[in-house]
Amino acid sequence: MFAFVLRRGMQSVVVLFVMSLIVFSMINLVGDPVDMLVNPESLPDEIERVRRDFGLDQPVYVQYWKFLTGALSGDLGNSFVFGRPALTLMAERFPATLELAICALIIAVTIGLPLGVYAGLRPDGLGARFIMGLSVLGISIPTFWLGLMMIIVFSVILGWLPVSGRGETAVFLGIESSMFTLDGLKHLAMPATNLALFKIAMVMRLARAGTNEVMAQDFIRFARAKGLSSRRIVRAHLMPNILIPIVTVVGIEFGTLIAFATVTESIFAWPGLGKLVIDAIVNLDRPIVVAYLLFVVALFLVLNLVVDIIYAVLDPRVRLQGDEE
Amino acid sequence: MTGNKLLSIQGLTTEFPTPQGPLVAVNGVDLEVARGEVLGIVGESGSGKTVLGLSAMGLVGLPGKVTAGRILFDGQDLTRHTEAQWQAIRGKRIAMVFQDPTTSLNPVQRIGAQMIEALQAHRDISKDAAKRMVLEAMVRVGINSPKERLLAYPHQFSGGMRQRVVIATALLNEPDLIIADEPTTALDVTVQSQILRDVRRLCQDTGTAIIWVSHDLGVVAQIAHRVAVMYAGRIVEQGMTNRLLKTPSHPYTAGLIASMPANAERGERLRSIPGGLPQLSNLPVGCAFAPRCPQASAACEVLPELTSTSAEHAVRCVSPLNEAA
Repeated sequence: MFAFVLRRGMQSVVVLFVMSLIVFSMINLVGDPVDMLVNPESLPDEIERVRRDFGLDQPVYVQYWKFLTGALSGDLGNSFVFGRPALTLMAERFPATLELAICALIIAVTIGLPLGVYAGLRPDGLGARFIMGLSVLGISIPTFWLGLMMIIVFSVILGWLPVSGRGETAVFLGIESSMFTLDGLKHLAMPATNLALFKIAMVMRLARAGTNEVMAQDFIRFARAKGLSSRRIVRAHLMPNILIPIVTVVGIEFGTLIAFATVTESIFAWPGLGKLVIDAIVNLDRPIVVAYLLFVVALFLVLNLVVDIIYAVLDPRVRLQGDEE
Repeated sequence: MTGNKLLSIQGLTTEFPTPQGPLVAVNGVDLEVARGEVLGIVGESGSGKTVLGLSAMGLVGLPGKVTAGRILFDGQDLTRHTEAQWQAIRGKRIAMVFQDPTTSLNPVQRIGAQMIEALQAHRDISKDAAKRMVLEAMVRVGINSPKERLLAYPHQFSGGMRQRVVIATALLNEPDLIIADEPTTALDVTVQSQILRDVRRLCQDTGTAIIWVSHDLGVVAQIAHRVAVMYAGRIVEQGMTNRLLKTPSHPYTAGLIASMPANAERGERLRSIPGGLPQLSNLPVGCAFAPRCPQASAACEVLPELTSTSAEHAVRCVSPLNEAA
């Protein structure tokens, strides 16, 4: 296990290095940030000064070298716009995105899993057909449209939920989050549901497919021959088996929730990472874009590792590579 | 024998709906099993013997259904049982062992847990007490160092060991009847004969009756007191094992015996019965075996009844062999 983690860690460093190279060189092909930062009517030497200040007058490889040496000491550069370290800015926004992603994931699993298992146990039932119909809707309705519809219905017409923002936060166990206040939860409800919708449908389909497959197995039949109740069979025999693929997919999907909540965050003006990076892209705030992309890469590397470890815990047949027998 | 019967199956019919019309897997089967008796059921693949076993456990998977007949077990008609009543019988009074030991056990649950739950499903017993019983049962079926094995997962066992676990599990509640569906087919020959011997001994000790389903007459000859031969969902002949093997009355039984490798001359080609099983959804009007039968005549176009030729013997044929015997 230790050997496995170590090896994956070293692989991750290589991946991060290559990604930084790609990201850095690609972003330097796009536009000129100085045009965005300086009043176009400024004098040419004023513009030159700004360019020099940001180090943009130097060749790309020099800029990259500076970035790399900085990155190794934990400094991914300062935002052009805010003049503050990119990492600090991201760290400020990260909790908002994280709580949104966690809520969305909880919603997706608590709704998707039972419905999917139910549909899988009674594949020909009316309920199952209805559920699967819903899942098709969930997968095909565009998130942004649904988000807007939710705002119109629940905020504008019914006035139940606030339109946008994060709401009040409170500190619990040293974590500041809007999950711990009623106002915060009200603000969370719509964006989290909106973000979760696609995942609910996905978890549902996975759970149904897994249930169909596992229930046809001999060991389920043998469990029934032992005289076990259906409830016990579902809990002790079905669940542990369908959870293996679901954990794998949900783990990676958690990454996409964090990394690509951008659309939902924009619609609900949620002050998270997604909004930060959209603004950074518009303003050609290169350090933030680079830092964000590297963060996303690192996030997926870590999630993959965690998923692999959970996988090995759930499935005794799996041995992690590098493990000694 | 009639006063002592444990199981009496009368006119049992199990059908699977198909687009081509109902597929009759079990077709009006009558069977009796006395306490402590070993009944062999022989037939080729697709003859309905597995579905017969599943029907007697109430485990025919949808869309299959028992459409006619009664299953009298210790005086109660099981076909009228609710699912809850079935659960009380399954594993407690009738246990089942399946063909493929590699798939009968849940791959992600420990062996011990899978055995203990079979006990706990039927009696209020503490985990420790259940564990002690499981350990004893493992020793009885010849599993060495059972304490460590309790914590192992199925994939750490050989096929023979897994089947021993399955058999030990089936015997845990000291059932009145075990339905063994080709339990040794997937094993190699030496393991097969060991398990055969062990099962016979264990069932003798506890007075458990066995229905041993197999396509292998040789195996059945070793274990069964009586044999029923199935063809295309019907019983075509039944009688005491020795008599049936020595002087078969039905041409199909004779064909099966002739095609046993042990009965072939050295250097001679192994014999087989020409042709194949008829489609179960489209059976011939008369005797289902007639198209393959060397003795077939015009009289075979009317389905013969299963007729007793002596107290212990019955055959379904218009011109049975060995009339003199």
